[in-house]
Formats: sequence, structure tokens, C-alpha cells
Amino acid sequence: MELFGIWIAALLTLGIYSFLYKDNPVYKATEAIFVGVSAGYWAVVYYFDNIYKKFWEGAVTSDNPDYWMYGGAVLGLLFLTRLFPKIGWISRWPLAFIVGATAGLYMVIYFVTNAMNQTASTIMDIVARNAAGEILWMDTLGTLVILVGVVTGLVYFFFSKEHKGVFGTAAKVGTWFLMITFGASFGYTVMSRMSLFIGRMDFLMSDWLHIIK
Amino acid sequence: MMATMATIATVVVGLTLIYVLYRTIKGRPVERRIVFVYIAFSVILPLMMQISPPLPITGDVLKVYDNIKVLQPGSKVLCAFDYDPPSAPELQPMAVAFMKYAFKHDLKVIIMGLWPQGPQQAQMAVEEAMLDPEVAAKNLQEGIDWVNLGFQSGNEFVIQSMGSEFKRMFPKDDRLVPYDSIPLMKNVVNFSNIDYVMNFSSGKPGTVEWVQIGVDRFGVKMSAGNTAVQAPMVYPYLRAGQLLGILGGMSGAAEFEKVLDEEGDASTFLLAQMFAHATVIAFIIIGNIAFFIGGRRKKITTPQVK
Amino acid sequence: MKKTALALLFFLGLFSVSLAQTDTSKSSFVTPPRPVTDLTAFDSNNDHGHSITLNWTPSADDGAGAKSVISYRIMRATSAGGPFEEVGLAPAGSITFKNSSSIDPASTGFIPDHTDYYYRVDATTMDTTVISSSDIAGPVQSSGQWFNKGLYPVFWAVIIFTILTVLFVFVAKKGRDLYVRPLAGIEAVDDAIGRATEMGRPILYVMGLGTASDIATIASFTILSRVAKRVAEYQTDLIVPCYDPIVMAVAQEVVKSSYMDANRPNDYNEDDVFFITQAQFAYVGAVNGIMLRELPATNIYMGKFFAESLMMAETGVVSGSIQIAGTDEIAQIPFFVVACDYTLIGEELFAASAYLGREPLLLGSLKAQDIAKAAILVLALIGIILINFGVGQDIQWMNGFRELFKVTD
Repeated sequence: MELFGIWIAALLTLGIYSFLYKDNPVYKATEAIFVGVSAGYWAVVYYFDNIYKKFWEGAVTSDNPDYWMYGGAVLGLLFLTRLFPKIGWISRWPLAFIVGATAGLYMVIYFVTNAMNQTASTIMDIVARNAAGEILWMDTLGTLVILVGVVTGLVYFFFSKEHKGVFGTAAKVGTWFLMITFGASFGYTVMSRMSLFIGRMDFLMSDWLHIIK
Repeated sequence: MMATMATIATVVVGLTLIYVLYRTIKGRPVERRIVFVYIAFSVILPLMMQISPPLPITGDVLKVYDNIKVLQPGSKVLCAFDYDPPSAPELQPMAVAFMKYAFKHDLKVIIMGLWPQGPQQAQMAVEEAMLDPEVAAKNLQEGIDWVNLGFQSGNEFVIQSMGSEFKRMFPKDDRLVPYDSIPLMKNVVNFSNIDYVMNFSSGKPGTVEWVQIGVDRFGVKMSAGNTAVQAPMVYPYLRAGQLLGILGGMSGAAEFEKVLDEEGDASTFLLAQMFAHATVIAFIIIGNIAFFIGGRRKKITTPQVK
Repeated sequence: MKKTALALLFFLGLFSVSLAQTDTSKSSFVTPPRPVTDLTAFDSNNDHGHSITLNWTPSADDGAGAKSVISYRIMRATSAGGPFEEVGLAPAGSITFKNSSSIDPASTGFIPDHTDYYYRVDATTMDTTVISSSDIAGPVQSSGQWFNKGLYPVFWAVIIFTILTVLFVFVAKKGRDLYVRPLAGIEAVDDAIGRATEMGRPILYVMGLGTASDIATIASFTILSRVAKRVAEYQTDLIVPCYDPIVMAVAQEVVKSSYMDANRPNDYNEDDVFFITQAQFAYVGAVNGIMLRELPATNIYMGKFFAESLMMAETGVVSGSIQIAGTDEIAQIPFFVVACDYTLIGEELFAASAYLGREPLLLGSLKAQDIAKAAILVLALIGIILINFGVGQDIQWMNGFRELFKVTD
């Protein structure tokens, strides 16, 4: 049975890769299988983990029921009113609840993690020294790069003033920092994509064809 | 024999790049599908060589190691598996290496996941770790030495709730054993009873959410293993001290295997990674040469009005 | 000779006895380690109660001296005389432990608030019978706090930001024109829609993989509204494949409203906005298929994108579409920059929704954000100057400036 699964996986992999040549019926069929299987998989996962585990086991049949789940179930049912045009407006209420609750949670955590703590870490000694008090020139240069990058990057994302004069120059420097960062990020992502391809090739060559160990 | 042939083939394919460069300079660039073939060769041939290249260990990976090596036997480590099979080539080797280290050093591992396939990947990592003779000799028991609490939907709300009480989010483990009946989870109420968190993540929810809530809100000590795509996004947290080390992508996984002295898949795949990158760089150079030469040709052929 | 032999035998016997003693040294006497000292127990700060924190100075034989300590057993009782029960274990090297419980009274190990507890820390060794107990700390009671004092800086920051937002929204509602600098990507949207109309090809609008509560997706709804209105006016086809069912529901509402605003309610087709799947790569496979089959003239990617971004943008290049993208996902912006004609970077996506919609709420919040950014920049620069002058000069309040931003529990 495992051998059958490996063959199916290998043929579907090659079917998807056939797109690199051009769009073809094999790719279309593989894509359709992928879409269908993933839709079915997620439907089962969501039913089992939410409706069955959280609501049925957690609230209805539990010895120590979590009554909040009934509220969640009601909101979930209200969402289904979208299917009926006359009462579809009711579905905005559970949506408003989700957006509001998430906004409330995010407001504090983003402020703390992405603003306050990051600002605190930016306020640092420019001149880096070792335990003996000697200046570490590379670390100092690194600190200066970070500071200039933070300042000019913030200037770039200032929308209330046009980028002209000194402000425009600072924004231009900020753009350079952004583009260099994006280039490095791009390189990282190419590495990630290659890793996925390597994983697939390893599967095809070791698990399927047994060419390598 | 196969490794030798693969090496020879690699050299031959590398030399054909000179022909590609020649064609490009002459204004006849190769088709994109030929580029795909080169990339395929640059991955397949090194895999056949089965060589692990030399590898320096970076500071980010060393930081992870420095923080886990101070954990004493009996320390409770929460492993959050927040990835799925597509990211396994990068993250699974890290997970396997960590599991082997944890089991060999008598750390108590508590597994959970915010992605449905995460705990399944964890189970595969545990099973692979158990094949190690040194780990097998310890005769580790699920529920006593390690436990898999499974997946819970809710993304960052799960982490938030775990800050109060783990049991609320994971009333049973993946074997459907009730939380209170798991010996390892006795006296483990929330994050304050956890000594360390190791997060393997490929997206959202993942390391960012763990830092935002687990670290900044509940003060957990945490390191992360990320895909190369996600690694640049979490570097600010490393610099600010919110994360104690990062394993970035397959190279991070290979370095981690080396520093833990656990040879695994990442070390083997690294040569293929290096060759693939070299091929990409070669084509970028060829493309830029074509671009600049093409631009000069246009200047020469454009009529000059005097 | 006899005496020598006897002496040899005696020596051999002594030697054997000493060897035997060495062999059995594992189960023989282990010196009790020195106990932990300075044990203090207090109510855990800034929590909902049911938690007590212990601090101590580790045993002198923990990592030093005899190096015999392997862990610390945390013992608790309701009276100073005991009996003590074990409530936790801390590894060697620890200097603190938090004994906490669930708020559910029925849970195992529940710690009721306002109840006296006494604690003791036992340093343990390899020999489970050899331990050293600390002095007893207590009585201590746990209690909950209403406010987390460590988050006061966040509290004031949120208050100030909220006041700024309300102020600027009020100003915007009064009709005052709040300037937002032009964004190239957004100015190209109208041209791109016109191009699609001329070519008789549809417009593909992709909202990414975010949920309806993601900020990028919410910004995308505003831009979709503008695009849908133009599409309705020009009577071009619009295709909106969705990843999330809730996003699809909202997008349908948005597009329908836009068609009604353009006075073309009958042209609205609900099938234009449809759900595909919630599997990332299956979704992008389907979107790629749509691009190659429908050949849209314009592709607009606005929202939260992940690994599929380059796949979609690449396919868009192959199909010859003009592409405009905007996302706040840092990892994906490089792909959009190289593959698309115009890219909105990070916060420009949020500014675009304010720029297009011109709604007072969006404009006001954008202005407040700008003020907050400027404030963070100025304060950070002041902090850097103060820190660097404060170094080596023992000026506490200068070095303490940074602590304003540090959020602690």
C-alpha cells in the first residue's frame, strides 16, 4: 500500500512539474485533484477540530461544559444566514465580532512587540566596546547602519509630506535601505524554494526510484 | 561509481554554461525551459554525490545551542510544530536533530501545534529520533518522557489561552488520554511551568505570534527554527533579544545538525543547495551581461541626429 | 620470609577492602549538599491570582563545591509545621519558581487566593534519600491584580494614539483637506482598468491568503471597492478568486455595493467573486490556471501573501498582464517588486486605501499614524543621544530613558 502511495505521489509531482513546459491536460488534472483533495481535507479538519472537538465534546457532552462554546455556535449559525438573501444582513454581526476581537487583541500585542520593544532595542550605544574597553569597529559600523536604516526607513513611510529637499534625500536613502533588504530577503527566499525542490527531488530519487540512499 | 559519474556530469554541465554565455552575448539567449533544466541538474547531480560540504557555524545558530545546552535533565521544553509537509525539507531536519538532542539529554518534551499537520510532523521526528541507538537504549515512554498534545485551531488565541492554562486548549493528548492523567503534565499549568520553548515555523501562525504573545506577554524563553522565507522577518526579534537564536532555512538546519553532532538530511542536501545557488548566480550574471550588451547595441544602432 | 609474606597478605587484604568500598561507593554515603538560602515567597505580580513566586540563592554545591545538586524540589504546606507536599521540580541552576494553578476551582492543584501557604525548597542529589531543606518561607497569600503595571507605557501610548486618531478624524470630517503624498501604484490602477477595457479582457483581483481580520485584507477591501466601481462604470469583467470563505462573503458585499454606487446594480454577477480552496498551493494553482485561460489584461494583488506570491506574479508576466501589487508581508515584497509593474510597499497599502477612499476615518487614522511615527523617531533619537552621553557618567535618569519603552511583566 505504501508503494502505491509513493507512486501516486511521484506521478502527481511530475504532473505538476509538467507545467514548466506548458499548460497541459495532465497539469490541469493534477491541479484539480490537488484543489479537490485539499478542500476535502480542510473540511474534515475544520469539522473535526471545531464542531466536534470544541463544541460537541467541549460543550454538549462534556461533564464540565464550556458554555462559551454555545455562544460561538450561535455566531457560527448566524454566519450561515448569508445563504438567504432576505436575512443575509445578519451575517455582518458575527463578522463584526471577529474583526473587533482580533483588532482588540492585535492593538496591544503589535504595540508591545513591534513598536515598544523594537524602539527600546534601537536606543543603544553607538560605539561598541569589548570587555577591555577597546572599540569594536565592525560592530560600531553595524550599529550605525541600523540607526541610519531605521531613521531613513521611517522617513520614507511618512505620508503627510511630499518627498522633496532634505526630506526627499532621506527618503531616497530609506528606499536604498529597503531595496537592499528586499534583495537579501529575495536571496533567502530563493534558498527556501530550492530547499523545497531539493526535498522533492530527494523523494523522487530515493523513495520512488531508489537511485540514491 | 555513481558519485564519480555525478561529479563528472556536474563539471560537464557547468562548462556548457560558457556556451550559454556565448549565445547570450551573440543576442540569442536560451529559452527559460533550458534554465529549468540547468536548475534540475544542479540539484539532482549533487544529491547523487552524497557529500556533506564543510560548514562554518553562524552566531544565530550558536545562540540556540548555547541556550539549550544549559537546560538541565528534567527541564520541560515545549516544542511548537507550526508547519506542514511543504516546508518539511527545511524544518524536519532541525526538528529531528533537536528531538535527538532532547532525548539524549533527558529533557522532557511537550509537543503541540498550531497547524494541523504540525503534530504529525512532530510524530515523524520523534519516530526518527527513536531509531538512534543511544535514544532507543533509554526506553523512553510517551506520557512520561514526552507527550504530543496535538493540534488546536485558533491561531494566536491558542497561545493566549495557554498563558492561563494548557489544559483548556489541550484537554487530551493525541492518544486521547486526559490531561490530568498524563504524568508529564502534572504540575504543568501554563507557561510559567515551562523551561524553554522551541518553535518550528513556516508562516502564520508561527514564530511572530509566539514572540508577540508567548515571549512579550508571558515571558517564555524561546528559540525558533524558520524557513528561509520567514527568517528575515524574525531577525528584528533576534536583535531585540526577544528570540534566543534562529535556525534559518536549510543552511541553519545543517549548522544545527553539525553543532549538535547529529548528521542528518540537511547536511546531505546542502551541497545541492550550494550548486543550485551557484547556477542561479551564473544566470543572473549572464542575464545582466545580456542586458548591458543589449543596451549598448541599441545605442549603436539608433540613428544619431547631428 | 614469613613476616614478609604476612605483611604482603595484610596489605593485599587492606587493598581488597578498599577496592570493595570503592565499588560500592554508588550506594554508599553521599554528603548532603548545602541548602538553598535567602528563600523568599511572594504573590506573583500582575496576574489574575492563584500564583506564588519563589526566589532563592542556589545551593553552594550547585555547579560549584561538591557539585552534587541535580534539582530542587518545591514543597508546600498550609502550616509551618507541615505536612509538606511536592508541588514542582526546578532543574539545577534555577533561582526562581512559579507555583501557579488554573482559575478553575475544580482543577488539579488549585491554589485559592487569600490562603496562607508555606514553602520550602529541597536540594536533591543522585541519591534520592539525601536532600537538604531550606528554611521555610511564609505565610504567603496569592491574589489577583486588576491592572498589569508593567504595561503602563503601552496604556499611555494607546491613549495618546487614540486621542490623536479621534482628533484627526474630527478634523477630516470638518472638511479640511488632509494631505497624503501621491502613490505611483494607485495612480496606475485607473490606467490599468482602462487598458483592460480597451483590450476587452477581464481584470483579476487577488486578495491574498489573509483572513477578514487581517489589516492588509481590510485595506484591500477599500481598494477593491474603488476598482469594482471603475469596472462597473467601464463595464469590464472582474474576477475575484478568494482563499477565505469569510473574505469572499465580505468581498461580495463590497463589489455589490460598488456596482450600486456606479448605478449598475444589474451588471453585478455574484459568480465574479468566488471561493477556491484554503490550501495555499492549491489556491495558487487554480489562480495560475485562471490567468492562463482567461488572460486578464490587469492583475491586481492586494492583501496578505506568502509563498505563492512569486508563482502568481511570474504567471502573470507570462500571460502578458500589467500587474499592480501591494502587501505588508516583507518576505513577499521583493517578488512583487521584480515581477510587477507597480508595488505598494508595506504601509503604502494602508495609505492607498486612505488615499483612494478619502474617508475621514481612514485619513484621520493615517495622520495619527504619521504623528506616532514622528514621535517614535524623535524620542528614539533623543534616547540614543542620552544613552550615549549617559555611558560612563553614571547618570541614572539618562540611562533610564530606554526603560520607558521596555514592557515588562
